Amino acid sequence: MSTETRDVPREIRIVADAMAVEMARILANSRNAFHGLASPLPAVAIALARSVHNPQLEYLNIAGGVNIAPGSLTVSTCSPAFLAGSESFFSLTDIFDLCARGELDTAFLGGVQVDRRGHINNSVIGPFATPKVKLPGGAGSAAIVPMARHTIVWRTRHDARSIVERCDFVTAAGSVREVVTPLGVLRMEEGELRVAGWFAHASLEEIREHTGFPIRTCDDAGPIAPPGEGELAALDAVDPQGVRYSEF
Amino acid sequence: MAASKTMTMTEAVSLLAPGSRTLALGGNSIHRVPHAFVHRVAQRTDLRLHLVKTAGAYDIDVLCLAGIVEAVSAGFVGYETEFGLARHYRSAVESGRTEAREHACYTVIASLRAAAYGLPFLPVRALYNSDLPRARGFEWLDDPYGGTERFPAIPAIRPDLAVIHVQHADLHGNGVITGPKNEDLLMARAARHVVLTAEEIVDTDALPVPLDHVDIPSVLVDGVVHAPGGARPGSCAGSYDADADAIRAVQALSSAAELRDYLTAQGGPA
Repeated sequence: MSTETRDVPREIRIVADAMAVEMARILANSRNAFHGLASPLPAVAIALARSVHNPQLEYLNIAGGVNIAPGSLTVSTCSPAFLAGSESFFSLTDIFDLCARGELDTAFLGGVQVDRRGHINNSVIGPFATPKVKLPGGAGSAAIVPMARHTIVWRTRHDARSIVERCDFVTAAGSVREVVTPLGVLRMEEGELRVAGWFAHASLEEIREHTGFPIRTCDDAGPIAPPGEGELAALDAVDPQGVRYSEF
Repeated sequence: MAASKTMTMTEAVSLLAPGSRTLALGGNSIHRVPHAFVHRVAQRTDLRLHLVKTAGAYDIDVLCLAGIVEAVSAGFVGYETEFGLARHYRSAVESGRTEAREHACYTVIASLRAAAYGLPFLPVRALYNSDLPRARGFEWLDDPYGGTERFPAIPAIRPDLAVIHVQHADLHGNGVITGPKNEDLLMARAARHVVLTAEEIVDTDALPVPLDHVDIPSVLVDGVVHAPGGARPGSCAGSYDADADAIRAVQALSSAAELRDYLTAQGGPA
């Protein structure tokens, strides 16, 4: 643990580390992975995957960085730091075009609401034209989710208000496969989200209790292996500043 | 030898004639955004702006607080984790003062590409399964060459003015960006008029790259404003980091009058 991260409460460390490690493990077979802005956990997970689980993974980000050097991540994930040590330059427009051609493998996208069908809402609560709550917007999601091979949604809260039967508005849908939350991983199976696993600090019952629809379990559902010593050491090496904790 | 295109910030702001104007602002989130220009525009009361950007934050929030934003075409409006939601934008939209013309970032790019290509619209391979096309009124096109896929046609957005903050420019209006370039090269090609605000104005042969590597070529540019610190309180790669306290100070304001007093106390209008 670095000096910067020493003051982070233990509960947050446990949850954020488990999420970052599990998101990295999911990238084990990806060819390339992308994240946009406001995405500290995905940025750390991709850097960790490149260090431990999948060194061949090509890392693309919103700033245009390609396989940037780990260790210099910032809380803002579109800052100039996201070009530091970049091998090349590949702009956001280039990434969207790549995705439209069907060549983006894995994308990380947030979802304010995620529903049973794996649809995400980042647009509005209430009617689109006269919203009760205007959310920030889906950023790249409506372009990326339908065309990428695989989308991972992450959320830093797991509650019945945000993981719902049906989204108020569908900003994006298509390739969502996993939803990673502080409690565990939900996965699309037979057209609906089911519990794939739960973290060591959580339980299946807890996930059921905090999900807004009666959720089934995948056939292979079970407890998720806690981060290994090597994974935790690599996590601190790629994210010594602890930007992964900033989302909590 | 072409004439110098240098102008004052006052002259640059006056390129926006009173009334409804479409304004594209360079940079992304709080990084390399022409905030000095934004602050000066926020002092005006004779504009109804349509703002265009893939992902905005402080810029859109400030102009919404100023009460002069009619519509925002953007994929994302909000700060990132550290500063939370763009609450002035939210309240402008939720109260009905400002129309959120929500896009995917890629369809903002398509709108600007259409304008840059001289087309009224551009089809994209995106937005499938989304409620956005219906909510935004995007029409679907059949493939005229017999393919079976359909494509949403994204209407062009031709900004009246694009303002881009660069680290280096010369007197002719050649601009060089350090760090992420975002959608600025496209904005400069899509807009009717382009202004660069520059940390430094240097001789052409002192630009940090050869002329054939310049990001914004002078032929597109109407004016160059010398604006050191012109992206504050956001960051500017190679020059300064974001000023978190100054961002929070503006987030905490609650009316257009308070904003104008604050901006006046900060040194404007000049």
